[in-house]
Amino acid sequence: MQTALLDPGAAAPDGTASRVLTASAQLGADRRLALYQHGCRMRLLESMRSLHPALVRLLGQDLFDRFAQEYLDACPSRSYLLSRLDEHFAEHLQRNRPDAQGEHEPWVDVLIDLARLERLYTEVLDGPGTEEPGHTAHGRDAAEVTVAPCLRLLRTSAPVHHYLIAALRGEDADLPQPHPTWLAISRRDYVVVIRELASDAYTALHALSTGAPASRAVGTADPLRGRAWLREWAAAGYITVNVRPCAEEGIVR
Amino acid sequence: MTVSAPDGGLRPDTRRLGFGVGLRGPHVPFIRAHWPDVDFFEVLTENYLHCRGGRRRALDEIAERYPILLHGVCLSIGSTDPLDRDYLARLRRLADEVQAVWVSDHVCWTGVAGVNTHELLPLPFTEESLAHVVGRVRMVQDILERPLVLENPSTYAGFTASTMTEWEFLSRLADDSDCALLLDVNNVYVSSVNHGFDPHTYLRALPHQRVVQTHLAGHTDYGTHIVDTHDAAVSPQVWDLYRTAVRLTGGVSTLVEWDDHLPSFPELLAEADRARAHASAVAHASSDAPPTGGVRG
Repeated sequence: MQTALLDPGAAAPDGTASRVLTASAQLGADRRLALYQHGCRMRLLESMRSLHPALVRLLGQDLFDRFAQEYLDACPSRSYLLSRLDEHFAEHLQRNRPDAQGEHEPWVDVLIDLARLERLYTEVLDGPGTEEPGHTAHGRDAAEVTVAPCLRLLRTSAPVHHYLIAALRGEDADLPQPHPTWLAISRRDYVVVIRELASDAYTALHALSTGAPASRAVGTADPLRGRAWLREWAAAGYITVNVRPCAEEGIVR
Repeated sequence: MTVSAPDGGLRPDTRRLGFGVGLRGPHVPFIRAHWPDVDFFEVLTENYLHCRGGRRRALDEIAERYPILLHGVCLSIGSTDPLDRDYLARLRRLADEVQAVWVSDHVCWTGVAGVNTHELLPLPFTEESLAHVVGRVRMVQDILERPLVLENPSTYAGFTASTMTEWEFLSRLADDSDCALLLDVNNVYVSSVNHGFDPHTYLRALPHQRVVQTHLAGHTDYGTHIVDTHDAAVSPQVWDLYRTAVRLTGGVSTLVEWDDHLPSFPELLAEADRARAHASAVAHASSDAPPTGGVRG
């Protein structure tokens, strides 16, 4: 039955449904199975739409549904959380680029970047944050800097965050034009905040988030600039600078 | 540990929480602004199992003021896959944290071979499937260390292999596994039309002392079948069945579910008050006291 639900186009021997399922006075077994097929398909598509309001706006619902259905067929849900239904959507789009057979088309990059950003938005919105006292920041226990668990970093081919923010507000926005963009996605007071970073700041913050000591992460920058970054990131809640800085590593709180 | 009281291990007073509504995101700002007079809230378990964001903070605040019931859709008690221990551990932790009065889910399966269809799929009503589900319910209750409450889902197809009715299956499941029942009156009506059985026969046959909660909701009639859409007011036919259910169960905690085309919170609460009025009318007709939670002015 599960195979019939998730792959309605799969060939089954004639009469299989009527051998397994009962008919009612009004509906045969095939039609009754189709009710489940339709219900299953619609529930999953509606969930995908709710996870990707900006992509729906960008593509229109019909085209979005085609992409989403191809993804769902290729990657059936293995989580009990509908909010994780799109965990591999961006990777699926990347593997199955609509322009794979022809010339590279920038709008496909925008599509994939937007899918990634919307996935991260959900993760940051629902995941652990820094609002509660005693929150657990990830990083080394004795590190001079710890990174907020709600921080995500994303390099995109265009400023797709403007498009997402407009979509969430129900506003129209132009298709993002190609322009390398470096984003920090985080959360303050349970609200997701997306900010653009300079490319070198992104590189340094990315290094911090993957466990590099602060001295190395910001070491390639001008010292004043590096210290300014740390102050900005602490103020933005991306990092916590611990009470006992390592003087020899030149960390300034 | 397996509970053994005839009502599925729940204290008699917990069967009478009154009249509640499902907690839905768009209503949360209104609730936090007004703290309205509601007997209890039921929340969708899976929305909170992993959530550490603002939605969870809101639930914690609401749980400080109202009784909370956890209602799941992904336990997949009828599946042949192993029980998901991570899911159960998180469910237990969440139930402890919000001091859930009980946890409920559906008599169904949602997937096999690690896949989740996110559909409440019907079970074949056979001796083999009954034994399978009874064993799993016992395991779940042991892991959760609390009684499990199971709901009859609405169904749109049955299995040719079934050897018993849905109400026989549910009754034996409840008795053999010592779980409690959540009687979804709308689902009984939907399934009765889709399968052509008498819903009153269904209601009369259940072990009423094991019913701790009733659900009410709207549905959509497509002519050839009815779908449990949760997008409209409760129908007159379901109110009629609800009055029967109140008579048979003595009146238990009642919840109005509404998911799509969500009305304002006061409108939703008005639907719960209609349930209160129906229950009160039954109580006044048959005895001298309101059955549950009193009657709102």
